[in-house]
Amino acid sequence: METWKEFEANELTHSAAHHLLAIDELGAKYGGWARVSDIAKELAITRGSVSINLRALKKRGYVVTDEHRMVKLSVKGLEIVQAVQSKKAAFKAFLVEVLNVSEHQADIDSCKVEHLISHETTERLAEFVEQFKHSQPSHTR
Amino acid sequence: MKSKAELVDDLNHLMAEEVEAFLRYFQLRYRLRGTDWLAAESFFDKAMDETLEHAQEIAGKIRSLGHTPKLEIKLSLAGGPIKLQEALAEALEFEQQALDAYKDFLPRVEGDTMLEDFIRKQIATETEHVQEITMLLE
Repeated sequence: METWKEFEANELTHSAAHHLLAIDELGAKYGGWARVSDIAKELAITRGSVSINLRALKKRGYVVTDEHRMVKLSVKGLEIVQAVQSKKAAFKAFLVEVLNVSEHQADIDSCKVEHLISHETTERLAEFVEQFKHSQPSHTR
Repeated sequence: MKSKAELVDDLNHLMAEEVEAFLRYFQLRYRLRGTDWLAAESFFDKAMDETLEHAQEIAGKIRSLGHTPKLEIKLSLAGGPIKLQEALAEALEFEQQALDAYKDFLPRVEGDTMLEDFIRKQIATETEHVQEITMLLE
């Protein structure tokens, strides 16, 4: 719960959330370490922008860097990524399962709110989706 | 050796780094506050001139390859007053990235004398910039 409080107090921007998600994804193959050039490619922005944004994330303790300017999520950063991913998953499930929104559109829309909705709403949303799925006749699932 | 289209793509990215650096210097210059901002303004003016000149040179190379430059940048620059030390630290970040980008690009132009010479010259210039800012920060 503390992580969530911190998350909301820090007001993570959409851009910052995507930097953290990109590091998580790119670093998966290399022990968590990602290159600035790969992050820039992934986010379709310049390397200069990435390095400036990482500077802010480093100051806030979300990432660490090494002497080769490689970057890795800190424990705090990893917690943020997991939180954002679970929010996105819950919201996307709601859109697809309950509102019958297409996978593609649900992916886009859940991305827009993934870093904004609260922990409480995420939990309720996930519970609601589960209840909704179980309340439906089996042939409609 | 990369295909011409791939080279142009890489050159477009390098040009974007330079144009963005120009815009960052521009904005930092007007955010500067503190006792030494007057002296520092000339440094930022020179940096703006040089980054724009580099972008123009890259655009020229793209044109000489028979393409037109494609500039893709996503940038929103804000922020309040900034002290020189902080502005230079920020400049060091994007100058270092520009240097790294040129270094990464060099092996891809081996065999192309014109581009290889140009990239080597850019690496030398960017190395000087990084060293200069590092010294100012010491």
